[in-house]
Amino acid sequence: MKNTYPLVLILMICLVASCWNESEDSPYPRQVGDIAFDAALDDPEFMVCNEKRAQQYYAFRTSAFQGEKPAVEQYFEERFQGIETDGEDGYITVRFIINCEGKAGRFRLQEMGMDYKEKQFEHSIGPQLLELTKKFDGWNSIVHKGQPYDYYQYLTFKIQGGKITEILP
Amino acid sequence: MKQLYITLFLLFYTVAYSKQNCNIYKWENNTECYKACRLYGKGGSQGSRSSQKNYDRVIELCPTYDDAYWAKAIPYLKRGDFINWRIMMDKAVELAPEKHLGYRGWCRYQFLKDYEGAIEDIEKLESLVNYDIGFCQNSDYHLNIAKALCYKGMGDSEKALEIIEQHLMTTEYPIGLYDYLHLGVLYLEKGDYSKAITALNAQIKENDLLADNYYYLGLAYKGLGRMMDYEKNIKKALEMYLNDYGRYDPYSTPMDKIFLEDIKREDKEMELG
Repeated sequence: MKNTYPLVLILMICLVASCWNESEDSPYPRQVGDIAFDAALDDPEFMVCNEKRAQQYYAFRTSAFQGEKPAVEQYFEERFQGIETDGEDGYITVRFIINCEGKAGRFRLQEMGMDYKEKQFEHSIGPQLLELTKKFDGWNSIVHKGQPYDYYQYLTFKIQGGKITEILP
Repeated sequence: MKQLYITLFLLFYTVAYSKQNCNIYKWENNTECYKACRLYGKGGSQGSRSSQKNYDRVIELCPTYDDAYWAKAIPYLKRGDFINWRIMMDKAVELAPEKHLGYRGWCRYQFLKDYEGAIEDIEKLESLVNYDIGFCQNSDYHLNIAKALCYKGMGDSEKALEIIEQHLMTTEYPIGLYDYLHLGVLYLEKGDYSKAITALNAQIKENDLLADNYYYLGLAYKGLGRMMDYEKNIKKALEMYLNDYGRYDPYSTPMDKIFLEDIKREDKEMELG
């Protein structure tokens, strides 16, 4: 047993060193797509239950949407004010976190043309979709093996001629 | 059926986990790429800090290592950052178009319903190779069938039907889990109920564990006025759906997927009717 002590010590040093390399101030986020709290953008009252254990929506079989996807489609169909105009084509994505209580927060917007390059839609389509997403309250809270989870979700709107033609994923 | 599952599993396993023979670089005296190859895939779980750092290290050592761009891009795709996904994915395609065009085309369909873009990539691949272009990443479809679904998405159902019919005539082609489902739905939408029933029954023979097949089969019988068969199949679809046998893709919503409200609407109609 005594002979294994130096080996255990070396392993522990390596472990600490590897953890050190994974520090919070790394230019790499803990996970691709992590959304850090931004006081300028985010509701300070929105709490994430366990930031470090937050998962992605696709990790669970349970749908994020109460009433499945048709409920989300219906919600946007009834409320989105489309603008019939040429040139307003592309994708608008709203990314956010749904916490362990089924509340959504930390919303981020990405607007992209059909060429997959960043673009600014005219006619405030993006901000309108962002606000509607913020107001949607039909998210499922996810409990897996008795454990509640926070998870990242996104909604992507395919826009053609100023109208929503698909809601993804 | 069992053979199909085994084939698909082996195909998926091979694509997902096959490792390149790093000795190729050694034989070429390319030490840096050899080191990169040995490092590749050793960074930890997909999308994690350590994994992304590791792919960057691989790229730094060997900037032509196309798989590193491809693998580094994947979590961006799955998490809805399509701008960054595309930047990295394009690099992989630029370095090895024959290897990555099919994947990029499939993802443009699966994640973004970018039908035109997906067709463009698949057809570009077809023009580059003289062998079978193969299946999409999750093995759900042959890329030809995926192309047909893109045409349907664009509103050209006739073209979709033509591609699927032609593809299924290829004798060496193993029937997929959903090919006849989509074929059946295309016939159903055309009002060709008898052909829809034949196609959907062919799918059930291959894949009995899908509520969607029975739902559409029910609708086809309804179209023919065979109401008892309609009711029987809608009830079966409902039972299967409630037991988690609905079509499922963790990342996106497949074309022609049914939801509980679709079945319940029919169920209610039956009660009223």
